Amino acid sequence: MKAAWILRTVRRQAGLHRLTVFAAGASFFLLALLAGTSRLGARVVAHWGGLVGQNVHLLVYLGDEMDEGTSSNLADILRRAPAVAQVAVVEPTQAFARFKASAQSFGADGKTIETLEPAYFPRSLEIRLIPAPDLGARADDLAKRLRGVPGVVQVDAMGAGLARLSAWSSFGKRLGTGALVALALLDVVALVAVFVRLRTTLARRAGVLVQLGETTSGIRLPSGLWMAVAAAAGGAVAAATLSLVWRSLVARIERSLGMVGTSALPALGRSEVAIGLAVLVVLGLVLGYFATPVPESDRHG
Amino acid sequence: MLWLEGVCCQRGGVPVIDTVTFGVARSELIVVQGEAGSGKTTLLELAAALRTPDRGAVWFAGRNISTLQQASLPFVRRNIGYATTDPLLIPEDSALDNVAMALAVRGETPRRAFELARDALAWVGAADLEERAVNTLSAGQKRIVALARAVAGPPSLIVADEPGAGAGDHLRATLVTVLGAARDAGAAVLAATADSALADGLVELGGRRIHLEQGHIAGAPAVGLVPDFTAAPAAELTPVVLTPVHDLDACAEVPPARKGPA
Repeated sequence: MKAAWILRTVRRQAGLHRLTVFAAGASFFLLALLAGTSRLGARVVAHWGGLVGQNVHLLVYLGDEMDEGTSSNLADILRRAPAVAQVAVVEPTQAFARFKASAQSFGADGKTIETLEPAYFPRSLEIRLIPAPDLGARADDLAKRLRGVPGVVQVDAMGAGLARLSAWSSFGKRLGTGALVALALLDVVALVAVFVRLRTTLARRAGVLVQLGETTSGIRLPSGLWMAVAAAAGGAVAAATLSLVWRSLVARIERSLGMVGTSALPALGRSEVAIGLAVLVVLGLVLGYFATPVPESDRHG
Repeated sequence: MLWLEGVCCQRGGVPVIDTVTFGVARSELIVVQGEAGSGKTTLLELAAALRTPDRGAVWFAGRNISTLQQASLPFVRRNIGYATTDPLLIPEDSALDNVAMALAVRGETPRRAFELARDALAWVGAADLEERAVNTLSAGQKRIVALARAVAGPPSLIVADEPGAGAGDHLRATLVTVLGAARDAGAAVLAATADSALADGLVELGGRRIHLEQGHIAGAPAVGLVPDFTAAPAAELTPVVLTPVHDLDACAEVPPARKGPA
């Protein structure tokens, strides 16, 4: 069959089975949306988890006058304080390396990062307190005293907020994973339903074409092609939706949690969208191709 | 064009076709006449490459299609117009689309396919059905459309199984005219019917009649091949004949090691 005929058949089948095409497109849209949400969600959760994972209750930023030796002495003094469990000195080079790793995990542009230097990052102390019911109060008290120390530029007391974020993050992660799995299962059921419906509606056409001498690939290709188009359309709409909605959604969540900063996270990169769309197109092609049943063409006895 | 050589077919261990040998040449019309259950449909399915014989060989345009790989059979089928009592049509498509589809499978461009399909529908007197969806047609009209699809082109071989079953005089007359015209256009025509009136009409048009009884050709030896096969279809196996047969050169034969018992 010539290409012109195949295209004509694709258009005709898509027109005849509009509802199925729409259902297939919607299923692929949901699939792409779930995949994109998982990917972006994993980034945000990793970032939030990173903050929580540091298990730091106080961040003490030091001025330029606090050299390595002075910072080390201050850390030693703090280690002797009764409520302090651990004190770590974070050098500018370490801070820069952490920022770089974190930024790259969020898909930041490498060239922009290269323009930065370790000297832009201040030396800091990370203080972990011994867990106790009044952790928040003790963190605030220590922060207040540290702010009076010469050479200390800024002190962030993070105890209460981080404890709350940790709990919410863990809960949200479980809830999100559960919801994504449930939706993915529903979507798989929808795709299977589309597949079964197509098999039924295309069976007679396939039988006719076998009798007329069409090859198996010629019989199956049109449904594969329009399913691939439906998959590409669904995927493109999902990518557009995510790029429009994701940032404001994350910002809203962060505001509700009292956080600042991650709403500037990049949406899906072009290469990620391209790979996702390619995977969807192949999936649609395969699903549509095999949705057309080809009856046994040769009978014996 | 077509040569069946000692073909045998069984169903549930019961022989349906038993060592049948005959051929049909280009511009020849053969009517297989027999009662219900005599094996006509099975014989025509063998001729249309829709069934492989248990024994014997089916030669089409110089190739033994019984030994072809499954993937090659479509290239044979697209050269055969096949019409049955139960017309297999795409219900949601128009009559014109259904007829044109057969030509599209043979590799015609859409424009040419629709042109030939319109000619075929006009040929069978169904020009007014062109735009009608098949699922709105009566059983008789569907059969007419299926006949138009079988003769569209026309293909190298036309196989018509009970084309006149339940047909009135008018339809019968149309069938005789159309099959005769296809034969005159150069096609090899093989029709099977239990309808004596239709068979007589086709014979009057110059067709050759074969009587099929209990899977045998009446008058032919029950066992053994009709001798001198090579002599009979030789004229049909020349390159001149092979040239217009679509895609047959693409056919791949089953390697000898995979051949079943003869």
